[in-house]
Amino acid sequence: MLYRTAGQFKTSYKADQALFPVRQDAVLLAIILTFAWVIFPLTASEFAFQTLLIPIMIYALAAMGLNILTGYAGQLSLGTAAFMGVGAYACYKMITLMPWLNPVVAILLSGVFSAGIGVVFGIPSLRIKGFYLAIATLAAQFFLVWLFEKWSWLYNDNASGAIQVPNLEMFGTYIAGPQAASVTEYYVVLFVVSLLTLLCINLTRGTLGRTWKATRDMDIAAELIGINLMKSKLTAFAISSYIVGVAGALYVFMWKGAAEPNVFDIPLSFQVLFIAIIGGLGSILGNFLGAILIVGLPVILNLLPAAIGVQIDSAMVEHLNVMIIGSLIIFFLIVEPHGLAALWRLIREKLIIWPFPH
Amino acid sequence: MLRDVLFTPFADMIAAPDFLLQVLWEGLVSGILYALIALGFVLIFRSSRIFNFAQGIMVVFAALTLVGFHAMGVPAWISVALTLAVMLALSVTIERVVLRPLVGQPDIILFMATIGITLFLIGFGEIIFGGENKVMITEQLGIPTGSFVLEPWGGLLILEQKDVTAVIVAALLVAALLAFLNYTRMGRAIRALGDDSQAALSVGISLQTIWVLVWFIAGIIALVTGIAWGARAGVSFALEVIAYKALPVLMLGGLESISGAIIGGLMIGMLEKLFEVYWGQPLMGGGTEAWFAFVLALVVLLFRPQGLFGEKIIERV
Amino acid sequence: MNKLVKLATATLIAGVTAGAAMAQELYTPNLSYRTGPFAATGIPLMNGQADYMTMLNERDGGIGGVPVNFEECETGYSTEKGVECYEKTKGAAIVTQPWSTGITLQVLPKTNVDQIPILAPGYGFSPMMDGKTFQWAFNMPSGYWDAADMIVQYLEGQGSLDGKKVAFLHLDHPYGKEPLPVLEAAAEAKGFELLPIPVGLNEMQNQASQWLQVRRERPDYVVMWGWGAMNAGAITEAVKTRFPMENFIGVWWAGHDADLRLVGEDGAGYKSISWSYPNQDAPAMKAVREYVTDKGMTKSNPEEMTGVFYGRGIVMSAILAEGISAAQAEYGTGEITASQLRWGLENIDFTQERIDELGLTGMVPPFATSCANHTGNSGGWMLEWDGEKFVKASDLLKPDTAGYADLVAAASGQYATENAPWEMNEACEG
Repeated sequence: MLYRTAGQFKTSYKADQALFPVRQDAVLLAIILTFAWVIFPLTASEFAFQTLLIPIMIYALAAMGLNILTGYAGQLSLGTAAFMGVGAYACYKMITLMPWLNPVVAILLSGVFSAGIGVVFGIPSLRIKGFYLAIATLAAQFFLVWLFEKWSWLYNDNASGAIQVPNLEMFGTYIAGPQAASVTEYYVVLFVVSLLTLLCINLTRGTLGRTWKATRDMDIAAELIGINLMKSKLTAFAISSYIVGVAGALYVFMWKGAAEPNVFDIPLSFQVLFIAIIGGLGSILGNFLGAILIVGLPVILNLLPAAIGVQIDSAMVEHLNVMIIGSLIIFFLIVEPHGLAALWRLIREKLIIWPFPH
Repeated sequence: MLRDVLFTPFADMIAAPDFLLQVLWEGLVSGILYALIALGFVLIFRSSRIFNFAQGIMVVFAALTLVGFHAMGVPAWISVALTLAVMLALSVTIERVVLRPLVGQPDIILFMATIGITLFLIGFGEIIFGGENKVMITEQLGIPTGSFVLEPWGGLLILEQKDVTAVIVAALLVAALLAFLNYTRMGRAIRALGDDSQAALSVGISLQTIWVLVWFIAGIIALVTGIAWGARAGVSFALEVIAYKALPVLMLGGLESISGAIIGGLMIGMLEKLFEVYWGQPLMGGGTEAWFAFVLALVVLLFRPQGLFGEKIIERV
Repeated sequence: MNKLVKLATATLIAGVTAGAAMAQELYTPNLSYRTGPFAATGIPLMNGQADYMTMLNERDGGIGGVPVNFEECETGYSTEKGVECYEKTKGAAIVTQPWSTGITLQVLPKTNVDQIPILAPGYGFSPMMDGKTFQWAFNMPSGYWDAADMIVQYLEGQGSLDGKKVAFLHLDHPYGKEPLPVLEAAAEAKGFELLPIPVGLNEMQNQASQWLQVRRERPDYVVMWGWGAMNAGAITEAVKTRFPMENFIGVWWAGHDADLRLVGEDGAGYKSISWSYPNQDAPAMKAVREYVTDKGMTKSNPEEMTGVFYGRGIVMSAILAEGISAAQAEYGTGEITASQLRWGLENIDFTQERIDELGLTGMVPPFATSCANHTGNSGGWMLEWDGEKFVKASDLLKPDTAGYADLVAAASGQYATENAPWEMNEACEG
């Protein structure tokens, strides 16, 4: 009923290929955006901002970056966290060397550095495929984290080897650092994430996106029909690393406030990979759904025992939490290997024809 | 600068040959352990195309189960038997609950599923065994704990007896495994499945039995690895990270090759120690073992995309 | 199975007490880590901390008549979980105990805005000593720079350090790098060569190459800043390479009984500087046994309870309890606020009499904090592993804080400028 498409006629190919072929999708998106831009910021508590809203957005962005590479261009990468680190350290260096730089501009520029590094580590993909490539990206992961630890110029020779986010001002209000209000940080994150999401949606629907998909589905065939594999793979690495780098800068500047090199170690890479896969490879929406599940669920699970009045040991909760996340990953893979986005697609199709299934 | 890179390290090696031998020995011992973990990966990958990330946690789980049984007062060798029974039960469960519903899915989905298994086992293991560092029951298993002290060229070379034992046991295990794969019905079935799963199924090889069997063998290897590694520094969940060390071995040796896993493991173990001691520590501030193996493997792969011993990749449109 | 039953009873009891305490309580959450790669060293400390507070609740009905709610929030040593826990607890908490250096670094600037004291006994960020700059942060009774200074003093006591070589084996992590400035300064002043050897987080279990380096460089002493699985790895390797154990000295976090028990007799002579000692005959320990252990309210076990780390946990909670009761006395109220507790923590006076009165005889050296000095610089004892347990091997060593006062001033000044605008405690004199 809600999703009835009767009466919505397409009169041109252009209309058929539009972003929202079904009007209800646009309405739904408008509702979600209203929530994200107006209702959440007005109602959320400090706790909700810091443990749910901000991290979900940032993780979704990182997963989107990975998804461009893995989901669209078919190049499996396990080095996401290191590229986030490149973005974060680049942003830190820019802010400390050029304090006059607008912070949002600095965050958006920091992705350029990770894109550069991403292309360098992407070069092997021209020869190496599949799991071999995945392990090769681990070389980037371990080497870069080692470099963050050893190259003291990166953290301004700080005695403890960590980077700290200073208080950053824009238009007279603090937008990052300890003095910044969570709601301001949230808006900055939301702005950047919205911007890049829009970019990604359009990229993946355009020529570049189709080139990537062809490469993913069968690279030799793609080459035979005249696709330049080098260009296709390296642009995927560049754009993916750019987005991941921006996510890394946001991760440290808008959320954590401080970071030591091992924050960017392999568990973070896996976390992002989970989100991309559980959400759905080759889908933009999936990254958000995946982030809600993987980031949001543990927080909720931690609150659950207290909320229902069960007194349970905090370490026990954490153990159970890890077990539940592990089982859920398996569960979702079994139920819908193409991710939550595919699940939503299914539901939507059912809704469109509901209540008459034929 | 160039002198430090190209000349000094070799001069050091020649000046103190006993030390060089010690470095190589340490490399050999770590290499054996990397090779064992890689072997677990290869077996499972060959027969089911699953990149089994859970091999690392299986090592921890097996070692903790062994120590756990012993702590309950069970004699050491009976604990080993019980641990093997637990590993078998684990294999059956994994096959039933996780693998069977996922047959035919893309590789990456199966890979993620094994990460799911890893997380589940971490949480489950910590509930049962607790997070404390435990002492491996080395002596109770009859593993000698002393050390051989040799004096080649008037120098000093220390060989821990438990490391020597580990090397010997690992060699025996590999020999037994090769014999099993080459000379028994079951072993041939595993190899057949690796070569062509469709053809293997059509001649009546049971996928389910083989999978359980392969995971169980991986479990045995995990137990041996756990004992050997646990004897060195105790058993705790921190051991799980050694799984990462096996990945470059796989790249170097090839995902399907058993001999590749062994040779690759030994090569990486020794080369990374040599590099760390003679180049990493003097010139780069140390800690190069974190990435050396990966970078080495990456360079090799650029020339041989299927690894040193992997099967040649033939692509058709 | 036994463990599960114990756990269930403990939680049940905790549930009952927490339920009863809803009306009035002192909420002092602990960001614990009983999971993850560092759990092995975390668990005994957390058990000691919790058991002391349970003892106070059982014996005295809390502190000043108000029961303590020593809830744990599990972080697994991950900074992400740490921030989650901090945000979750900060509303009602009067103190935050962040535990990992990473979490401390992240939470430190936030506490200045949220106005909650950070209590990081013996860890955290060494410049926290400067109470004027870090008005909300405390790391009494001793910081890492004190430890480095005391270790150098002790080594000098063994003979001049001129021309000697000291290897510094440390975790490649903010925590491990913390004492480097003081050690470097000492190396220059005393004429010894300092050789830093980092151990990566993934190499903690397998330190063969680090110890090969030790063997090649032949240092006279090895000083270790290790944690978690790294300690056990280093000690077993040291035994293996035949490094003379008496020349091997760790910081207080590298003196865990279970790590040494791995090597037993072979580890005899290994030393660890410590500001706490598990004196089994101290009245406080007896009280814990009587009111907590015997009633089955502990998660600990008899072997662990005799260890250095469990004893240190007791001392940590005793310091917090003393801060609370100082604040209660000053403000004449049982239920103190976070900022009142800050005053209390700034005015702890652990004289020998007070230590005896609390039943902590021989467990912690005397120290006093002030608004300008948040560390107290108690000094510590050199503990030595005798093959079965740690024993005191030296008289009380006192750090020469004047030696690195400049470092503290420079580091805290730098922190304040980097985080400008940073609120200082201008009211503090001295």
